[in-house]
Amino acid sequence: MALIPSHRSGPRPGFWARVAAKLGARGRARRLAARMTEEFGFHLDLERQKLLNQGYSANDARQEAERRFGDLSDIRSACRVEYSIDPASGGPGEPPNHSLGETMHTVVQDLRYAVRTLRKAPVFTAVAVLTLGLGIGANTAIFSVVNGVVLRPLQYRSPGELVFLTTAFPTLGFDEFWWSAPEYFEYKEWNQSFSDIGAFTTGEVSINGGDAPIRVPGAFVTAEFFETLGVPAAMGRVPDRDEDSPGGNNVVVLSHELWQRAFGSDPQIIGRVLDVNGTQSTVVGVMPPKFDIDDSQVEAWIPMQLDPVNPGRRASHFLYLVGRLDRGVSIERANAELGPLVTQWNERVGGNHSPLPDTHFINLKPLQEEVVGEIRPALMILLGAVGFVLLIACANVGNLLLARAEARQKEIAVRTALGAGRGRLARQLLTESLVLSLAGGAVGLALGKWGVQILLATNPGSIPRLAEVSLDGSVMLFTLLVSMLAGVLFGLAPVLHLAPHNLSPALREGGVRATAGSARLLLRQSLVVSELALAVVLVVGAGLMLRSFATLQRVDPGFEPDGLLTFRLFLPGASYPAPSDQVSFLNRLTERIRAVPGVTDVTTMSGLPPRRRVNANTMQFEGIQPSADGPPLLIDFFQTVTDNYFRTMGISLVEGRLFETQDAENTVPAVLVNETGAQTFWPDGAIGKRLRQGPQSPWLTVVGVVKDVKQDGLDEETGSELYFYYPQVAGVFGSLTMNVVVRSSVPPTSLAPAMRQTVWELDATLPLADLQPMSTVLFDSVARPRFLTLLLAIFGGVALTLAAVGTYGVMSYTVAERTHEMGIRMALGAKAGGVVKLVLVQGLQLAVIGLGLGMAAAFGLTKLMSSILFGVSTTDMITFVGVPALLAIVASVACLIPAWRATRVDPIEVLRAE
Amino acid sequence: MARPNSDLLRGTLDMLVLQILSEAPCHGYAIGQQIQHLTDDRLRIEQGSLYPALYRLERHGWVKSKWQKNSASKRRTKVYQLTRKGRERLEANIENWQRFVDSVSHVVPGS
Repeated sequence: MALIPSHRSGPRPGFWARVAAKLGARGRARRLAARMTEEFGFHLDLERQKLLNQGYSANDARQEAERRFGDLSDIRSACRVEYSIDPASGGPGEPPNHSLGETMHTVVQDLRYAVRTLRKAPVFTAVAVLTLGLGIGANTAIFSVVNGVVLRPLQYRSPGELVFLTTAFPTLGFDEFWWSAPEYFEYKEWNQSFSDIGAFTTGEVSINGGDAPIRVPGAFVTAEFFETLGVPAAMGRVPDRDEDSPGGNNVVVLSHELWQRAFGSDPQIIGRVLDVNGTQSTVVGVMPPKFDIDDSQVEAWIPMQLDPVNPGRRASHFLYLVGRLDRGVSIERANAELGPLVTQWNERVGGNHSPLPDTHFINLKPLQEEVVGEIRPALMILLGAVGFVLLIACANVGNLLLARAEARQKEIAVRTALGAGRGRLARQLLTESLVLSLAGGAVGLALGKWGVQILLATNPGSIPRLAEVSLDGSVMLFTLLVSMLAGVLFGLAPVLHLAPHNLSPALREGGVRATAGSARLLLRQSLVVSELALAVVLVVGAGLMLRSFATLQRVDPGFEPDGLLTFRLFLPGASYPAPSDQVSFLNRLTERIRAVPGVTDVTTMSGLPPRRRVNANTMQFEGIQPSADGPPLLIDFFQTVTDNYFRTMGISLVEGRLFETQDAENTVPAVLVNETGAQTFWPDGAIGKRLRQGPQSPWLTVVGVVKDVKQDGLDEETGSELYFYYPQVAGVFGSLTMNVVVRSSVPPTSLAPAMRQTVWELDATLPLADLQPMSTVLFDSVARPRFLTLLLAIFGGVALTLAAVGTYGVMSYTVAERTHEMGIRMALGAKAGGVVKLVLVQGLQLAVIGLGLGMAAAFGLTKLMSSILFGVSTTDMITFVGVPALLAIVASVACLIPAWRATRVDPIEVLRAE
Repeated sequence: MARPNSDLLRGTLDMLVLQILSEAPCHGYAIGQQIQHLTDDRLRIEQGSLYPALYRLERHGWVKSKWQKNSASKRRTKVYQLTRKGRERLEANIENWQRFVDSVSHVVPGS
């Protein structure tokens, strides 16, 4: 068996031939190394002998001989390089047609050389690697989020086929309106585009049966919901159609997280009976980790048991639908098919709702778009911002490399003199840059991992799917690519720096240092200009976010949040069937809480600002006719409150009166309206006006107008709001979910244990949800803008710092280059002020170009930010004047230091050197 | 003194080495000593920097080397000598150099 084929086996060297060549090359390299040792040793011995003869001590002679010889390892590697170049090939030093072995050898050699050179300049290497690490780390962290949140498909079967179905009422400001049960059944039956359509609605459920009574986010779903998503339970099974039918067994499916948290990962959980919202329900399954719908953090899944025979009111809209497109059906085709179903509703079912194509239409979008569509622009802005940070970091490292190339002029000159061609040197320099950038990438990966952990820890709930964010393969690939790209990008700087050598031989020999110097200077200056321009864009972006967030912080929520503690209770209908039971429970509870030391006031309300879901209830207003084709008249929020509500919350009365205890006995329901509602419906005075929900409902009389409260978010327009007095209207507008609000004279959180104890003394089965200070509720309500502002501010700060350092570096270099000129100027009588001005003017010229370009770019790019800004225009004057001013100051300081140094030039020294 | 200009150095070092070897074969150390002597120490390069140039010239076939026993020190010495190709190269170099100096002196009076 011939392992080593003969040369006749083919024109191309086979594998073994290549190995043999490589081994041969290795043998040659070893022989070469031995010969160099011998030759150089001989040289050193002779020099040492000469020095000994001149009277050096033995030790000094050896050291001096070595010093005169130069860096042994550099010379050895230079010799190796020279020796391996094949003179038969074309250009000087261009890599000839090496065999694989020799190419590998050169690459390894380049790498070794690069690592050695970098090791010899630890400060430079550390600064460059850290700068890059910072830039790459920021990119890794943000890309991890973008990847996990936006790019990675949802964790359902064939998620691309899933569609989120809603209707839109643009005239009413609803982009995503719910469906009613009858509509759902009709859709399911009539459509041709979907293989499955499931319905769900989200809310909260109380669960008893674990360690303590708990209240968790829950979803009421149809059996088709699980079929549509195509995700089986991790343990047990999902509910079947019988369990989803009226009268079916009551069952519940738990989330993996809830099963772990509240049931200690009990392996016997399937079959256990829990009290779910007062109903005995059997656990039939546990879903896989992170299974969720529409970022609702659902922890319990309960069959809705809708009745197709008697589906309920057509106008009662509370369902979201999710459908799976039939194979090959596009979302456009589904839209074309389903659109008419909405507009022709009346003809089909004889309803009285008259939807028009432009006022009420179907709204289909990919489920993924529904989940992440809203956050995508913000994340893309962040990704763009970190991209800019990395570009600035690259410009800085490019500048560092240029400065280093200056310092290495001699080394490069020698290597050029010794015949290393430009291509060879360029490859060597690029190898060095790549080694730097990969080291930066490694640091960046570590920083990115850390950054992701911080992001996850500081951002509860303001970004969907955040639990799915991790540093996976695609993130690592991204980091690797970004590092290599960065390496090539900044590595080009010193390579371009080599370019003047390309001039014609005659010019070369003449030594056109001035030209080469100015080309280099131009390169450095353009780096500074681009750096400043990028920094302007980033800082303008950060500035806009800061202004926007400051505006948001100044929004008056309409009540006094400081000193308030709040929690939510759900009264199970089974335990509190009669409205009077609910009222008496709330009365007893507030009485007891009032007795707790430190409590100054207490009340309860149905909806907690500032993150309520809009109610949007159609109302009839006495004396107001809705226009035939106009939008219906709506009250945005219903708020049912108990005694002392306005006093406890700190909401002031504008006119009329507040609720009084006697109202409970009064048969004519009294309501309060907020200022927005009063102005919308009764601009000429609201007191005494009446409204009702429908022809059968009792008239409600407005008795007072109170200040607006931000119910739907600090960044939203205030909606119209109607207040009801719970003791008076418990049977109609009462709510089983009530928020308790406690005003305290002590730190609110210190009252938490007393609150639990007080509630459980009355009813030990009641869970207390979201027990926290009101300030936390408000703080969390602006978590997303705060998060974006914080990140953009950090990126802007980093950009500013890097740009300042870059400007300083280049100005220092310029001054060093002109030391001679400065000296002569000073010798000829120039004042220090004049010299400072000279340097400053030069630096500021760069700054002005950079700022100008940056402003132009910012002007165009900030338009992309409009969706995440609040109360600030994308061309906000203050930001667009303030940021360039700030950068101009920073750039001036960065120029002043080298300018001041220029005045320290000693004219005598300079002239003596002449 | 200004830093050595790389391009000047590159041409000069090649020429100097070839020139020195055109007179007699030498080992590396001796070549270095002669360069220092000839240039009055003006070409201040590290002694070791000479070797890569020698390896390059050898690779191009302009010089060749052989190991000789030094009778005094009993050590092997690597001795370089000019080849025919090297001599042609040297002559071409000198001609170029002369042409360049002429053209420069036309432009820069007194140089």
